Amino acid sequence: MAESTVLQFSPFQSHVEEGFWKRLSSLKLNTLGLDETPVKITGFYGPCSHAQVSSHLYLLDESLPANLAEESSSSEMVLGNRNRCPIPGTLYNTNTLESFRGLDKQSLIRKEAKKIWEEICSGRVEAACAVLSRFLVISYADLKKWTFHYWFAFPALVLNPSALVSKLQPASEWFNLEEGKSLSEACNEWRKSSLTAAVPFFLVIITADSHVTLRPLKDWETCQRDGHKLLFGFYDPCHLPSNPGWPLRNFLAFICSRCKIEKIQFLCYRERHGLADLTHSLVGEALVSISQEWKNPQFIPEAVGWERNGSKLAPRRIDLATSMDPIRLAMSAADLNLKLMRWRALPSLNLDKLSATKCLLLGAGTLGCQVARMLMAWGIKKITLVDNGRVSMSNPLRQSLYTLEDCLNGGDWKADAAVRSLKSIFPGVEAEGFTFAIPMPGHPVQAKETAGVLEDCRRLQNLISSHDVIFLLTDTRESRWLPTLLCTNANKLAITAALGFDSYVVMRHGAGVSADDKDASFSVCSSGIEGHESRRLGCYFCNDVVAPNDSTSNRTLDQQCTVTRPGLAPIASALAVELMIGILHHPEGMNAPGEMASSISESSSQPLGILPHQIRGSLSQFSQMVLVGSSFNRCTACSNLVVSEYRRRELEFVIQALNHPNYLEDLTGLTELMDKARSFNLDWEEDDETDIETVL
Amino acid sequence: MKMASPCDGTLSPTEFKFAAEALMKKWEECKSILHPWIWIPCPKLPFGAPDKAGGYLSLEHIHHFEFKKQQDCIEQKYSEEEVEALDSATLVLSGENETHYYNFHIIYSTSYKVPVLFFRGYHQGGQPLKCDEVEKDLPLYTSKLLEESKWTFITQEEHPYLNCPWFTLHPCGTSEWMRLLLQQRLYSSRPEDLCSHYLVAWFSVVGQVIGLWAPLNLVHCSSSSSSSDTFCSHT
Repeated sequence: MAESTVLQFSPFQSHVEEGFWKRLSSLKLNTLGLDETPVKITGFYGPCSHAQVSSHLYLLDESLPANLAEESSSSEMVLGNRNRCPIPGTLYNTNTLESFRGLDKQSLIRKEAKKIWEEICSGRVEAACAVLSRFLVISYADLKKWTFHYWFAFPALVLNPSALVSKLQPASEWFNLEEGKSLSEACNEWRKSSLTAAVPFFLVIITADSHVTLRPLKDWETCQRDGHKLLFGFYDPCHLPSNPGWPLRNFLAFICSRCKIEKIQFLCYRERHGLADLTHSLVGEALVSISQEWKNPQFIPEAVGWERNGSKLAPRRIDLATSMDPIRLAMSAADLNLKLMRWRALPSLNLDKLSATKCLLLGAGTLGCQVARMLMAWGIKKITLVDNGRVSMSNPLRQSLYTLEDCLNGGDWKADAAVRSLKSIFPGVEAEGFTFAIPMPGHPVQAKETAGVLEDCRRLQNLISSHDVIFLLTDTRESRWLPTLLCTNANKLAITAALGFDSYVVMRHGAGVSADDKDASFSVCSSGIEGHESRRLGCYFCNDVVAPNDSTSNRTLDQQCTVTRPGLAPIASALAVELMIGILHHPEGMNAPGEMASSISESSSQPLGILPHQIRGSLSQFSQMVLVGSSFNRCTACSNLVVSEYRRRELEFVIQALNHPNYLEDLTGLTELMDKARSFNLDWEEDDETDIETVL
Repeated sequence: MKMASPCDGTLSPTEFKFAAEALMKKWEECKSILHPWIWIPCPKLPFGAPDKAGGYLSLEHIHHFEFKKQQDCIEQKYSEEEVEALDSATLVLSGENETHYYNFHIIYSTSYKVPVLFFRGYHQGGQPLKCDEVEKDLPLYTSKLLEESKWTFITQEEHPYLNCPWFTLHPCGTSEWMRLLLQQRLYSSRPEDLCSHYLVAWFSVVGQVIGLWAPLNLVHCSSSSSSSDTFCSHT
């Protein structure tokens, strides 16, 4: 540079590691609370080691004391190394975004600048030079959203008039060959020694015989007296070829006010591969004039240095929700699990379809709780539960969503307790609970209750129409009637699971009925008979020749309480969910024909395996059968006869069926069928009467 | 060190430490343009079995240059009166191309018995990169590879020591392809060399996926692997 121009410094750039914010969060939660006292922190930087990128001032988790008791003692003792010169700083953390925005930035920077100025005047800088780069940070930690607002200021004492630069060139051009070699050696020594590696300001002495040594700042008087060539060196974070880094600003202020030198030769030390890089490092000459004001002991220079965001004066914001918010972490972990299954084992798994499927569970008991958990495990997000009961003391043992707490004070409503439990297992679930009773045939409706029952019917209709899969998991046969009818009418997938003492049945109901569906004239148990492969599959009631009736009155306690072997509910629930997954992945979905177990020679057409219609199992035999049943044209729940009558008269029909179950038998012609059967004289021995009722 | 089970592609924890040292040495010897791997000894966990591998390898602050301007997400601007006037001695940086910074850790997985690469990227200033931003930084052929190969895919996992999610190249396929890689060497070199060669071989595959060229692979030198500052988490 031929003539002197204003020396322009490249500002410091901050980089805050996640660990710092985590430690600040826990400090705030555990120690600080609402306390806004400034916190002493330590920043770290090293000389630039890259031709194209400046190095930053880093805040790491070690920048904060682990707890505030250590604060005063440890901040001086934070260990540095050659790449981490510790720089003292102050953190002003506020409690609200408004107070963060309202902080008086000018007074804050003045406060830090005052500290630096006093340390220069008192001679402290010569003992611990890193204080020349003292900085401050203001912050606001939003611990609900896990975002952190912050703003750095690197106070630089303003020289008035500004420093001028008369020369600035690469160090390799300024030093002669011998001096250059000696300088490199001296620097590398300085950088290797643990005593000096983290000391960012130093003196460079060049003797007449081209021997270069580095000395600490406290030796400046001696060095001046010796009369050798003297440069002021510092670790330069900046990479630019025509500008020194920010630390030089306060260094110049120190040199001119303390050493009383106005023509300052400086070395911007930069590295490459851990060694001094003299082509990248700069040597320059700055012209400073000591203003009169500075001689006044009360005077404190102005300071600038708020970090710009891009080119604008604005704070920065960092969003750490994905790595700190536990709910997000839980959701991404669950997601990962399913994805791994798809990548490693089942590439055709349609995870998007599963997470979009809405499931309605009628019954939140032994079956309901297990089905709900299993659905979440498969990635189902929307789960609605319906149950009219309260959690009782015996429930938590067999009904896996409840705990003792839910039983207290008379017991919470099961639907509500179940929803709470699901959310505590997986916060990403969209769970809803409804408490009402499913109207049942054989339980007549009193006149005053009619309105309520109609309301319950309507609610059930709405729930069924707003979900994709309905699980019938109640504890009586008759409570499954209305849901079956409604699902058939709405053509919604219904899956039933029912338990005996040591046996279970899990089945998917056939698709909805249309006017010209021809159902079988009697229920069959193998698809081969009559040669009609594509018959509509049967429902839970298709095997029955009596209408559902009141099964709960006049029974003994154990018959009422549906006592079952504990192992059954988990087995049946698991099968019900896996059956659903199979249906959702089948190209024909609900309309898929029922398959029997495939023989070993023919491989299954679907990657998930066969898609059965019914699975009936027995714990006493540890056995399981896969069956197919067609729909029965006189079924009291899903036959054309019943569904069309429902469509004609809707809830009026339902009330009639609830109050008079014989009505259903008459309507479907079962009554007639039974009469015919009874009147048929078989040539049996008298004491051998065939009981043609089938009940489960 | 003789490898206990060279044939199945896995490593024991002590073999991992040995192989790590060999990798560090080899890396330095090649006078690479990248700065060296650092061994981070593991802090003792308050509960659970002591870490037999004893630590992990760390390579931090690798630059990845973006050739587009950094986007400013500025919520509220302040006027000069509120903060400070523009000072004539301050150089105002403008239109800088964005740089992404990456940290790489090689950590031993006790369940899979193989090394796993953990990596995390940051914007300038410290904001972590999102998954799609990281994917954009990967070499072009990698996204194709990730889709097609059943042996390499990127997942987000909890870092075993730092308790936050990092990206990893999932290790479930590692022992399979390491077995194939090592089999070649098994017959051509001494068994003792196999262990010290393990991580070098492993890295030659994994590094390519990430775009972190192993210096031993001297065919290409990517411009993204240039030297930078080393910040050790522990001295």
